[in-house]
Amino acid sequence: MPSFERQELDVNGVKTVVLSAGSGEPVVFLHGAGTMTGFDFALPLAERFRLIVPIHPGYSESGDDPSISSVHDYVLHYLDLLDQLGIDSLRLVGHSLGGWMAASFAIEQTKRVEKLALVSPAGLRVPESPTADLFSIPPEALLPALTENLEIFEGKIPNPPDLDFIVARYRESASFAQVAWERIYDPKLSKWLHRLTMPTLILWGAKDQIIPAAQADAWARLIPEAQVKVLPDRGHLVLEETPDALAVIGDFLS
Amino acid sequence: MALPPDLQFYFMHFMPYADLPEDHAKYESTWVDFPNKFYDPVKGKKFYDRYFAEMVLADRVGFDGLVVNEHHSSPYNMMQSATMVASALVPITSRAKICVFGTPINLQYPNRVAEEYALLDVMSGGRTEFAFPLGTGMEYWSNATSLIPSTARARFREGIDVILQAWEQEGPSTFDGEFYSYRYLNSWPTPYQKPRPKCYIVGTGSPQTIELAAELGFGYSVVFIPIQAQLKTFEAYRAKTQQLGRTAAADDVCIMVMAYVADTDEEALAEGKEHILYYFDNMMRVPPRFLIPPGYVTNEEFRKRAAAANVHGTADWDTLTANSRVICGSPETVAKAIEGWVEEAGTSRVICNLHLGDMPHWKTVKNLTLFAEEVIPRLRKAGVSGNGAGRPAAVTAAAS
Repeated sequence: MPSFERQELDVNGVKTVVLSAGSGEPVVFLHGAGTMTGFDFALPLAERFRLIVPIHPGYSESGDDPSISSVHDYVLHYLDLLDQLGIDSLRLVGHSLGGWMAASFAIEQTKRVEKLALVSPAGLRVPESPTADLFSIPPEALLPALTENLEIFEGKIPNPPDLDFIVARYRESASFAQVAWERIYDPKLSKWLHRLTMPTLILWGAKDQIIPAAQADAWARLIPEAQVKVLPDRGHLVLEETPDALAVIGDFLS
Repeated sequence: MALPPDLQFYFMHFMPYADLPEDHAKYESTWVDFPNKFYDPVKGKKFYDRYFAEMVLADRVGFDGLVVNEHHSSPYNMMQSATMVASALVPITSRAKICVFGTPINLQYPNRVAEEYALLDVMSGGRTEFAFPLGTGMEYWSNATSLIPSTARARFREGIDVILQAWEQEGPSTFDGEFYSYRYLNSWPTPYQKPRPKCYIVGTGSPQTIELAAELGFGYSVVFIPIQAQLKTFEAYRAKTQQLGRTAAADDVCIMVMAYVADTDEEALAEGKEHILYYFDNMMRVPPRFLIPPGYVTNEEFRKRAAAANVHGTADWDTLTANSRVICGSPETVAKAIEGWVEEAGTSRVICNLHLGDMPHWKTVKNLTLFAEEVIPRLRKAGVSGNGAGRPAAVTAAAS
């Protein structure tokens, strides 16, 4: 199994940590609103591609950018980053908040994104199956809401949580709030999803308690070339829970 | 050190909805998500009648000010619009300052706050004072989500600028800010007091807030941190004011005292303690996540607060009396305690919480009357030699 190489870049004044592994066509993975389980789960993609995992400003090892107030600001941040990395065309994968970013990026950069994989993406307003309000979930209820398979946290998060862990979660929650406190979706996203003309995969865990898998149909209705795959018995952290989810993405991107 | 000659005593009321259901303890919080099915408007009306009567009494027995404040979605406080409550006090009181301490201005458009506060000042003939709170974290959970906690401080700062411009700069003027822009900022009315009523910033001890108060020429008031930490904030405020070439007035900082007075210490404890504990145990029951919504404080400040114990809703009497200005006792005992607190804080302004929690009307009347007639004159006498009795007794005599 390959391992990540860590780069620390200055992107328009914001310290941005980028993890890379493997070689070949670039695959950029945009993570969700929590980084506590790390990114090793994505490494199998590095056996087939040049995997690039940038850490969002405001999360984990990257610096803070208080001026970010929308997902669109992240899109612009990543346009800057891709320029620095010299990447033009790419395959784009996004999970949860990262799915929202990836969809927004691809709407604006249709020709650069060759293939798009959205995993339990946030960002769409689906009134009949609404996204849970992450901010209102009491801390003790959060992990069981993310997955039924609590073993995935073993060895990755301190038990009981220590002060550093609690502060890190507060920081990421505050960063997420900068773009999602007012609404946990983009009210205009549905209007522009028709621009996603590249091959698009919508992947979901059937037991997702944060963003219900029923939202997959709404995405599929709005995106011209979408294929939907719902994996049974998996929750919101579908990529961490079992390796087959990542294999589905790898096959789709090839 | 002698007491200042112009000691002022302000009566503060939280106006709580002090009728919690028997099983209220099963709710983690009495704020934000405490169900409003427990609010009975008929009982609410009775509380208002009673609490307004207590405010009127405080005015008559000689308190220098009546203090109201504002909170939301909680039985803690029935003044969801502090200005509305203050407005009701205008025609039923005659001498005390009416102090709105205050509306979290982020919850309103600041031009409206400027107008409403000026309106109060004019209606009362210049009897108002105002304090500007950021608003507790809880207010950010229970108000429109367009109010993003991480921008609260910058928005607050700009809101104050709008208000001061509306009051002090001839209108119409324009304002071009990050959060608010005005084509015609033109407040009708302007304040009765010129250039403006006395203003305070209410903080919890952060250096930025202390500096802000000093820079604006506002007073500084601090809540919910231990006495020793409060005294440090006062020193910092005075030092900053000095640095800016001014000297802080004695009433530019104020202290809050929770007191119950009876004939003897034993009687005061027996009658008062349970209601003060009720306030801390029940009215202040808030889980950490509601106290600090995401982004409401910096990561560094969050680390400090997370490392400290959450004192909300877990009161024990010894800790309370060690960290806060809480006293139950005879007039002599209470006066002595307040004398010490006033001296160490170097203030001339004492805000007195004489109704707390579920204290019944008769105890509140007894408490604030004894405080005015027996405690205040003792302190005024200590402060002003040869000036005879304090003002409250004289006013009581005139009013009776």
